Amino acid sequence: MKVNGKGESNKGTSVSQGDGFYQKRVKEIYRFLEENLYFNRPDMEIKGERFNTSLLFGLLTALGRGKELIIGEPGVGKTTSAEFIGSLVYQIPVGVIWSSEVSGHPEQTEEKIIGRPDLGKLNKGIEEVVWSHFSQIPVKIVDEINRLPETKQSMILDGVDRGNWEYLNEMIINEEYCLFATANYQDQGTNTIIPPMIDRFDILVESRHPGPNVSYLVAECWDKENILRHPELERDFEEVLNRKIPYHTKLSEVEAVSNRFGEFLESRVGLKLLSQEERRLILSQVRGLDFSTDASAFTRMTLAELSFCYYHGQKRSVENCVEGCHYSGYFCHEIKNCASNRLPMSIRSYSQILAWFLEDREVGIEHVKVVIPYTLAHRIRWRDEYLARMEKSRRNDPFMLFLAKGAVKEMLRRYDEQGDRIKEALGVGFRILNGEELEPIEGDHPVYLEIMKDLSMEPS
Amino acid sequence: MRNPFEEFKDFERRRRDIPLDQIVKSKNVTMARIMEGYEKLLEEEVKELVWLVQYNTVIKAYANAEKSIKGLEFKPEDIEDFCYELDSSDRIPYMITGPAGIYIAALCNHCEEDEVVLKLEDIKTQINLLGYRLPAGKRLLIEGNVGDFAGIGVEGGELIIEGSAKNYAGAGMRSGKLVITKNVGHHTGEWMMGGEIRVGGRIRGLGNIMDGKIYEREQLIYPKDGRYSPRNG
Repeated sequence: MKVNGKGESNKGTSVSQGDGFYQKRVKEIYRFLEENLYFNRPDMEIKGERFNTSLLFGLLTALGRGKELIIGEPGVGKTTSAEFIGSLVYQIPVGVIWSSEVSGHPEQTEEKIIGRPDLGKLNKGIEEVVWSHFSQIPVKIVDEINRLPETKQSMILDGVDRGNWEYLNEMIINEEYCLFATANYQDQGTNTIIPPMIDRFDILVESRHPGPNVSYLVAECWDKENILRHPELERDFEEVLNRKIPYHTKLSEVEAVSNRFGEFLESRVGLKLLSQEERRLILSQVRGLDFSTDASAFTRMTLAELSFCYYHGQKRSVENCVEGCHYSGYFCHEIKNCASNRLPMSIRSYSQILAWFLEDREVGIEHVKVVIPYTLAHRIRWRDEYLARMEKSRRNDPFMLFLAKGAVKEMLRRYDEQGDRIKEALGVGFRILNGEELEPIEGDHPVYLEIMKDLSMEPS
Repeated sequence: MRNPFEEFKDFERRRRDIPLDQIVKSKNVTMARIMEGYEKLLEEEVKELVWLVQYNTVIKAYANAEKSIKGLEFKPEDIEDFCYELDSSDRIPYMITGPAGIYIAALCNHCEEDEVVLKLEDIKTQINLLGYRLPAGKRLLIEGNVGDFAGIGVEGGELIIEGSAKNYAGAGMRSGKLVITKNVGHHTGEWMMGGEIRVGGRIRGLGNIMDGKIYEREQLIYPKDGRYSPRNG
């Protein structure tokens, strides 16, 4: 049995199961969410299956330990979808998730988000940190993050990025966590999300209005979150989280309460949730999935278009694109900033988990194609001329996502035309670096020049 | 540093066929089969045809040529390509204009199209026996000069040569039409038994004609008394 792409079998673990076993369990969770908790239209089709984007990416975020920014109008289910998904994937009663959420507002403080001194002990001269529930539990939700002033957004940068939370001289590290942040569209009460913060989000999705008919159905089921409530276990969770014991010890106690909630939910609605060990196993299967050469080459081609500058060596947000450049037909000409190294990480992790979810043996161009727009939308800063040119276009998606999807479509068209040549150029690149005396493959796309740079053969 | 291209170390480019590739590929296959048939014909007939064209050897060679191309699917362009291959290729062991002409005639006569156009202006060799036994309903148009025995034994078809022909044009013709826009050589219409020959230029000499009509520059010169006698070729 090949459990993961690297051929590591999971023999010996109590949860080892054959191919597709966990995917079916996760799909059951998806269907449960879709039928009972988050009502919306399926708006995405992948390989013949229809999904709701917000729900699917939310589920993949929770499973893959990702970071998702959910945008949308107020009251269209941004926060509640994250709460439901987090509750089901991590076996946490929704009441605990509510209590740990960070609400974005201008007066928010580090003490409320991360931790505070134990005032009783401080009076006795002892410094001890009382960690917030937000910093401790694996499902982290920041509601209306763009209401946090820019200066305060940086408070959660490290925690969001690496899962390490520091206060006074103490630190806890979350081994397993996911982050959902919601943002309303700009109004007088919102701020811009600072670029270092926005780059930390793997993906951006819009929680969309479900349409009048489904919306009417939502109104009928006003108490649906009660399915995921368990006041007694919520109190147990709180008691464990407040306990003054080392964090790693606390985690095993959290897991015990969590498993009790899973058992309760299985008996109540017949849905089997995932234990911590099962989630870990799923992630090892996910990370073991290899990329096809097409998926890899197309991703490299995308990264080349978003980071390349013929005149300045690379894209830099402080340098302007030269008019009349030969490469003005590529997206490097339409954007201001440079793709960060977090972009390929986001593309990689979400493509892998999507491929896993669809029970595919490797990550193909189909998966990458679906994922890339959602990883790009919030990260690209387009040139004003391009925005002006495109803003009147008819669209179904929010503007930034619409632009990202258009860009991916355009790049994919280019890849369809010259994918084989690009792969050949990469293959020849390998052989040249391995010492063979060959001429690099040349072509018009920036990726060819980037390959030549790696070979130290850039034309003068 | 790790080789960043490692994922592509085994990549070998499989060239995608574009429609043109398919056409070229299929043409190459057809041409190979036409060549093969011709070489087979040469092997069987070369000894008899090398020195002399005699009518019984031509008949036998034509029968063999028909056998060689049986089941072969080709277009008029393939015949034209074959003519150029004959003229220039080093793939053919030897070029003998007689068997070549017989073989081309068989190809023309068995081609599905009723009209075959061969643009042979640029060909260096003047091929003999073109249009042999061209049947009724077939029209063969040759652009360029041809060798001896053009239109020999035409059986009702129409052979138009936009250029000149050499000796024995229309020899043994039974019915049909042979049009030569420029000049022809000696023995024109030798043992001709029907049909008509129209020459736009000059006829060097007529052959021993049995029946049929021959025009030179729109003038009927056979059958009637003219500056040529039937036997003065």
